[in-house]
Amino acid sequence: MTAAKLEVQNVTKIFGGLTAVRDFSIVVETGQLQGLIGPNGAGKTTCFNLLTGVYRPDAGKILLNGKRIDGRRPSSITSSGIARTFQNIRLFRDLTVLDNVRVACHLRARHTLVGALLRLPNHYRDEAHIRAHSIRLLERFGLLDRSEELAGNLPYGDQRRLEIARALATDPKILLLDEPAAGMNPAEKIALKELIRQLLKDFPVGILLIEHDMDVVMDLCDRITVLDYGQIIATGKPEEIQCDEKVIEAYLGCPAHSVEEAVQKDLERGTDV
Amino acid sequence: MIRSIFAPLMVLLIAIGVHGLVGRYDDGYWINQLTIIGIAIILAVSLNIVNGFTGQFSIGHAGFLSLGGYLAGSLLYYGSVMFFQTRPEPGFFSFTQPFDRMDPTIVWWGIGDLFFLCVCLSAGLFAAVAGLIVGLPSLRLRGDYLAIVTVGFGEIVRILIESSQRQVPLSRLNRADGWDLVTGWGSAMGFNYIPKFGSLFWVYLFVGITILTAIRLKYSTHGRAYLSIREDEIAAEAMGVRSTRYKIQAFVISAFFAGIAGALTASSQGTINATELAFMKSLEIVVIVVLGGMGSVSGAVLAAVVLTYLPELLQAETFARYRLILYALVLIFVMILRPRGLMGTREVWDVFRRRRGVQG
Repeated sequence: MTAAKLEVQNVTKIFGGLTAVRDFSIVVETGQLQGLIGPNGAGKTTCFNLLTGVYRPDAGKILLNGKRIDGRRPSSITSSGIARTFQNIRLFRDLTVLDNVRVACHLRARHTLVGALLRLPNHYRDEAHIRAHSIRLLERFGLLDRSEELAGNLPYGDQRRLEIARALATDPKILLLDEPAAGMNPAEKIALKELIRQLLKDFPVGILLIEHDMDVVMDLCDRITVLDYGQIIATGKPEEIQCDEKVIEAYLGCPAHSVEEAVQKDLERGTDV
Repeated sequence: MIRSIFAPLMVLLIAIGVHGLVGRYDDGYWINQLTIIGIAIILAVSLNIVNGFTGQFSIGHAGFLSLGGYLAGSLLYYGSVMFFQTRPEPGFFSFTQPFDRMDPTIVWWGIGDLFFLCVCLSAGLFAAVAGLIVGLPSLRLRGDYLAIVTVGFGEIVRILIESSQRQVPLSRLNRADGWDLVTGWGSAMGFNYIPKFGSLFWVYLFVGITILTAIRLKYSTHGRAYLSIREDEIAAEAMGVRSTRYKIQAFVISAFFAGIAGALTASSQGTINATELAFMKSLEIVVIVVLGGMGSVSGAVLAAVVLTYLPELLQAETFARYRLILYALVLIFVMILRPRGLMGTREVWDVFRRRRGVQG
């Protein structure tokens, strides 16, 4: 197993007059779980879109194992080893659960179109291989008994897990998870945390996680990067981030000490907080 | 190995069977009807590869049909004289009439039949190249741009053909130079007196090949990539699917079979006219695909049979002029009652499998 390293160096993205992301830098390595948090509209998903080639960065470099991948098409970036899930679930709703994963396995197929149309031996070999791999993944994610259902008919939590399974089917070195816990109930969140921890042990990937649920983020991540208005305002271990002044200000809208003062004043006045 | 060859072999046997049985017992009516239905199936199933599988919206299929038809027509009309001096006679498999009109000395398989096969394939390739040229720039774009480009393409083809030179009569063929033959596509009069080779055998051979191609595509890695583009192009790209490449591939395959359908039209009717293959013809094919269900091969076949034979069934003479009104009404009702077409994205066999699954 070779370790992979994703390096993002001073990436900037400007939409018209708005700088969505400025000087964004991060390093993700195999086996690491990094968190990316920030208030709504801070530019987290834009960062993912930059990393996966949906947008081209206006400045800066993105390197995977020392090779530049910025400016390449999304499909080409995926084949070089970065996979993602989407914040607003983007499954292939009218395809079966199995086919969703099989589509993602298509980079494994070596046979050509002619091979598929004439049903040459290499077509059957590839298809059998892809099917076996997809079924292994679905089993791993507890979705095997639903494999023939249409993805759009799955319950919400299953859809989220299928998105992760599908992303893993592309054999990524770096996995980007965009709010995997969004809309999940507490029980599902606990299961998800366990799942992500297990992923890191079973698959040779590094994970970059966007998440609003602080419980999930603080529990899972080795390091956290905080974005606000497109800029990194803090990086560090979860416990460092929790007491970082700037982070608290970004989330609460005022400096932490002023919150404390306000609370103190309210207490003095005897009102309920 | 056997499973790869079994289906093509069945296609061949069915084509021979249809040709033999209908030709033996029919007085000409069914040969004609089944030819028209077969060509409609080829058109619908091939358009479904673009509109149904990849979810792009092409409404210029008649353009590819015209290109294939005219190339086949001119190859058969001019080419047979140039290559063979006299017109090669069709053999048994290319005999387009009831068998009781057959000359008892007819050969099973002659040079003319081989020539016709080559003509069909070149018509397909010609249309496929046109498809590549149209698809390369327009399929990079997302959304409805393709629809606009394909409408334009269909009209360009029609107008180009209508402004071509008059067809060179066979009697003056030896005095005509090459340029007359290349530009002599019959102007707005249509291209006539095309040697008839388009028998039921050829029509149903290509119907079978088209359906087989579509089904084998659908259940393969490449076809699943098409479907994923229809479902969500951004997600498909994120899974490593090179969307532009696959869209162009689908478009070219689709154009290829439309070109073959053109060759079959020209050589079964003996005439082809671009004026009749205008925007309305493209729309007819789109209606069939939408009615059948986007992405359903069996739905496209079903809708092609119904919509082609329905006007005939309801007395073509009086009915023909209301056909467009009926099309509109059928479309409106289908869109209200079954917004995803008769079959949706499913196939006939999916429905049966689900039934069995529920019972078991």
